[in-house]
Amino acid sequence: MDLRQRNLLRKRLTTFQAGAWLMVLSLGLVYAWLQVVRRSELQKLALSQAVKVRTTPAPRGIIFDRNGHRLVDNRRAHHLVIQQEDLPKDFAQVESLAGALEQDPDQLKRRVQLALSAGMKRSLIVQDNLDDAGLARAENLRARFPFLSIEVAPRRVYQGDELAAHVLGYVGEVNPQLMSKEPGRYQLGEIVGRSGFEAARNDVLKGQDGQRKSLVDQLGREVALYGLENSTPGQSVYLTLDSGLQKTMQDAFGEERGAGVVIDLRDGGILALYSSPSFDPNAFLGHMSQENVDQYVRNPTQPMLDRATQGLYSPGSTYKLLIALCALEKGIISPETTFTCHGKKTYYGREFRCDGVHGTLNLVQAIARSCDVYFYELGMRLDVDEIHATAAKYGLTELTQVDLPNELPSRIPSREWKAKHGRKEKKWYAGETISVAIGQGQNGLTPIALARFYAMLGAKGKVLTPHLLYAQRDEAGQMKTLPPPKARETGLDPKIWAALDEGLYEVVRSGTAHKSALPGVAMCGKTGTSQVTAFVDKAHYRTLAKQFRDNALFAGYAPHENPQIAWAVVVENAGFGADAAAPIARKLCQYWFLDRLKRPLPAPGGKLPDAFEEAQSEEAEAEPIDKAVIAPEAPASKVVPKPHDAGGLR
Amino acid sequence: MNSPLTPAGLNKSTRNLDPVLVFLVLVLTALGTLTLYSAGKGTAHQSLWIRQSVWNGLGLLAMLLFSRFDYRRLAQSSLSIYIAGLLSLLVVLVIGHTVAGSKSWLSLGGVSLQPSEFVKWLVLLFVAHRLGTKSPEALTNWDLVGAAGLLFFPMFLVLKQPDLGVAMTYTPILLLFPLLRGIRWRWVMAGALGFTLLCTVAWNYKLKVYQKERILTFIDPSRDLKGKGYQVNQSRIAIGAGGLWGKGYMSGSQTQLNFLPVKTTDFVFSVWAEERGFVGILMALALFGVLLHRILAIAGEATTAIGTYFCVGAAGIFGFHILINIGMVSGALPTTGIPLPFFTYGGSSTLAFFLALGIIMNIHHQAKSR
Repeated sequence: MDLRQRNLLRKRLTTFQAGAWLMVLSLGLVYAWLQVVRRSELQKLALSQAVKVRTTPAPRGIIFDRNGHRLVDNRRAHHLVIQQEDLPKDFAQVESLAGALEQDPDQLKRRVQLALSAGMKRSLIVQDNLDDAGLARAENLRARFPFLSIEVAPRRVYQGDELAAHVLGYVGEVNPQLMSKEPGRYQLGEIVGRSGFEAARNDVLKGQDGQRKSLVDQLGREVALYGLENSTPGQSVYLTLDSGLQKTMQDAFGEERGAGVVIDLRDGGILALYSSPSFDPNAFLGHMSQENVDQYVRNPTQPMLDRATQGLYSPGSTYKLLIALCALEKGIISPETTFTCHGKKTYYGREFRCDGVHGTLNLVQAIARSCDVYFYELGMRLDVDEIHATAAKYGLTELTQVDLPNELPSRIPSREWKAKHGRKEKKWYAGETISVAIGQGQNGLTPIALARFYAMLGAKGKVLTPHLLYAQRDEAGQMKTLPPPKARETGLDPKIWAALDEGLYEVVRSGTAHKSALPGVAMCGKTGTSQVTAFVDKAHYRTLAKQFRDNALFAGYAPHENPQIAWAVVVENAGFGADAAAPIARKLCQYWFLDRLKRPLPAPGGKLPDAFEEAQSEEAEAEPIDKAVIAPEAPASKVVPKPHDAGGLR
Repeated sequence: MNSPLTPAGLNKSTRNLDPVLVFLVLVLTALGTLTLYSAGKGTAHQSLWIRQSVWNGLGLLAMLLFSRFDYRRLAQSSLSIYIAGLLSLLVVLVIGHTVAGSKSWLSLGGVSLQPSEFVKWLVLLFVAHRLGTKSPEALTNWDLVGAAGLLFFPMFLVLKQPDLGVAMTYTPILLLFPLLRGIRWRWVMAGALGFTLLCTVAWNYKLKVYQKERILTFIDPSRDLKGKGYQVNQSRIAIGAGGLWGKGYMSGSQTQLNFLPVKTTDFVFSVWAEERGFVGILMALALFGVLLHRILAIAGEATTAIGTYFCVGAAGIFGFHILINIGMVSGALPTTGIPLPFFTYGGSSTLAFFLALGIIMNIHHQAKSR
C-alpha cells in the first residue's frame, strides 16, 4: 500500500471510530431519556405492578339500644369469593360458575369484568353467608373452579329482624351510582350503609380499613410482605332507641300500615320509630331471593319506604293546635273566646261541615271535642301566610335533621308555595284557608315532623332536634354519652301554652280520645282523621274499600304534669284517629311509664351463638343509662325464638 | 520465530497479546456473568451462569489458540472453510432442530450448536481474503458485488431457517466494505434503491406474519401490550426503574419478580440497567465503545489488507450486535433476537465472538512482531 492510500485508510478508519462513538453516544442518550428523564414515572410503574394492595375490611361498629341491648351485631360468616389475583380472565369459566351457582351469568360476568378493569382491592364475593350445606357445596365447587376461595369475614346481624328496619337500615356493597357521585371516596366492593342509620352515620360505623401490601411476582404470587396497616374497627354506638318500646310499637301496629315516632322530651332522642309494614334487613345483606324481592321491593304496600320520615300525611285535626297557636299569638282570640257550632257553616259561599253539633264552646272545649266550626272561624280570621309563619317559627317547615337519610320536608301551604307548586291554579283562595284550618287541604306532614311539633308543645316551646345517636362505646366498653343536638327556644307565651296544654289534656280526659285514657298516666294528645278520598255521607264511607278509608292520627305527650315523652302515630286507612291511633299511643305510654319499670322486655333477637368481635360478657359490663331498665337474667332465646338464628353458625 | 516444538503458525509467546482487548474481554465477561447470575436466580435458569462460564472458558481458550495461529494461513484455506460453513447451514436445514421457531440448531453429542453464529465470521474471513488479496488498484466495484454475492448464500440459508436476526448480523459487512474502499455516490444511490426494493419485496412476499408483527409492534408498542409489546414495555420499565444509580445487585423488582421477560438472553442488558442504573449503562457503553475503537485501531495497523478488512468487518458485526440489542431492549429499535456480546447467554455466539477476537488479536500480534 502506498502512502496516499495508507492515509486515506487511516482517515476512513478514524471516521468509523467516530461512527462507533456516535453510536455509543446515541444509545447513551436513549438510556438517559429512560433512566434520568422518565425515571420516576417508570419507577412508579415498576412499583405498581410489583406491589399489590389488598384491603382488609374493618368490622363495622356494633349498634346498641340505649340500654345496651344489641340491635346490630357482627357475626363470623363464610363467603365464597374470588381473590383479586385469581379473577378469571376466561369468561367461559365465569359463565359455567354462574350456571353452577344458579346465578345470572351476565351479572356475574359484569362484576368480574368491573373488578378486573377497576383493579379491585378486595375479594369478589360470589356467594355470601354460607351455611354448613353451602360450605360443603362451595368446597365441591372449588375443585371445579380453582380460582374460588372461602373467606371468613364479619357480617351484619340485625337483631329482631323487622323490629327497627327503617331505623337501622342495612349494609351492602357500594353501588356504582354512589361511587360515581363521590369519586375517590369509596372503593369497589366496599361495604357501606345503604339505608337507615347505617347509611346516615356510615362514617362513624365504618372504621378504617386496613391494608396489606405484598410483593408479588409476575404470576401474581406473593413473594414477600411489603407493608401492613391494621384496620381500625368502626365506632360502636348506642342509639336513643329503647328496644322494648320499639317492640311495643311494632306489636301495636300489627298488620296495620302507618308509622309512629316517640321522642324523649329531655333531649330530643328518638325512643321508638316504626314504619309499618317493615322489612327484615338481614334479607338485604347478600344475594336476595326472588321471594324477598317480591315481599319487600315489589310489594305495593312499600315496606321499604320509611313512612316516619318520608311519608307525607294530611295531619287532620292534629293541625288544629297550630291554628290555635297562631290565632292566640296573633291575638285574634283568647282562650276564653267562644264560637257556636251548628254542625255546619257557610264560608265564601260554600258549606263546611262539622262532625257534630257542638253548640257554644271555648278553645279548650273546641280542642277536646275537635270542633271543626270553631277552627273554620279561626281560618276565616287568619291568612294562610300567617299560619305558615307560625309553622316556620315552631319548626314545622324545616327538616327535623334526624340522623336518617332522605328525610322529606313537610308541606305547609302558603301563597308562595301555591304559586310555585299549584297544579292548575297558582292563586291562593281564602276558602282554602278554611280547609287548612282543620288540617285538610294541601297540608302534608311527616310523622316525625308532627311528633316534633307535639314535642315542642310538651317541652313548652322548645324545638328539639330528634336524633338517634345517643352515645359512643369507648375502648374499655364504657358508654360515653354524646351531647344532644341543640334545641331551640321559641319564646312561647306560657299563658298560651297553658291553654293548649289544657285542651290536649281534656282530649284524653273527656274528649275524643277518652276511651284511650290510661289510668295512672295523664296523657295529652290530639286525635286526627284525615280524608283520603271524598265521600258523601257515613253510609257511603262504610262501603269504601280499605285503601280509601281515612287515615287515623294521634299526636301528643305525657304525662300531663311533667311531660317526658311526645309522640305521633299515623295509621293508614284505619278510620277515626280516636279508634285506631290513640290506642297505639296508649300502649306506648303503658309500656314506657308502667310496664318498663316492672317488667322490661328482653333484648331483641336472643343470645348470639358466635359474636365476631367482642365477648358476650361485655354486654353486661356496659353501663346502662337507666338502672331501672336493666333486663333481668332473661331467658332471651326462649322469649324471642327467631327462625333466622337457627341458620347461624355455631 | 516458529519453534520446532510448536505446530506451524502457532506462536508460543503471549507477550504480544493486546492488553486493551484482553482487559475489555475479561471485564465484560465478568460483568456479563454476574448479571446472568442475578437474572437466573430463583428461576429455571438458576444454573445458566455456570454453563455460560464453561462457554466463556472454552471461548477464552479458543481466543488464546487463534491469537497464536497466523490468520494469513487461516485466510488461505478460507474457501474450504466457507464451503464447509455453507454445508453446515444446509445440514441444519435438513437435520437441525427447532428452537423458538427457527430450525437453526445442531446437536453434537449432547451439546447444541448454532452454526449460523460461526458462519458469519467464516464468511467475513473469506470475503476479507477475497478483497484483501487483490491489489487495491485492481479492486473493482464488481469485486464488491461479488463479495455481496458471497454473503448472499449463507444469508439466504439462514433466512430459510428462518432466523431474520442472525441473517441481519451479516449485513454490516455489506455496508462497511464499500465505505472502506471508497465508493461513488451513484453506487450508494443504487444500493439504497436496491435495498428499498428488497425491503418492499421482502415485506410483501418473504416476511413471516410474526416478523411483520414485530416491526409493527416496534412502530407502535401499544399494539400488542401482552405479547412483544409487553416484553419491550417491561424492559423499559426495568431500565427506567434503575434510575441514575440503579437498584443494586440482585435488587431489581422487575428482574427478581420475573416481570422482565427472556431476561437471560435477549433482555439481559435490562437486568444490568435496572441493577446498575444510568451510571452502569455509561460504564458498559464506554467499555463497548473502547472495544470497537480498539478493533478499528488494529485494522489500521494490520500488515495485510486481509487483516484490515477482517477487523473492520468484525467491528461492524460487534457494533451491529451492540447497537441492535441495546437499542432493542430500550424500545428504540425493533425486537429481534440478536445476542449482546459477553452478556447474552449462548454457547455458539460466545464461542464465535471469542474466536473472532482471537483472530483480531493475531492480526495485532502480526503487526507488532513484524
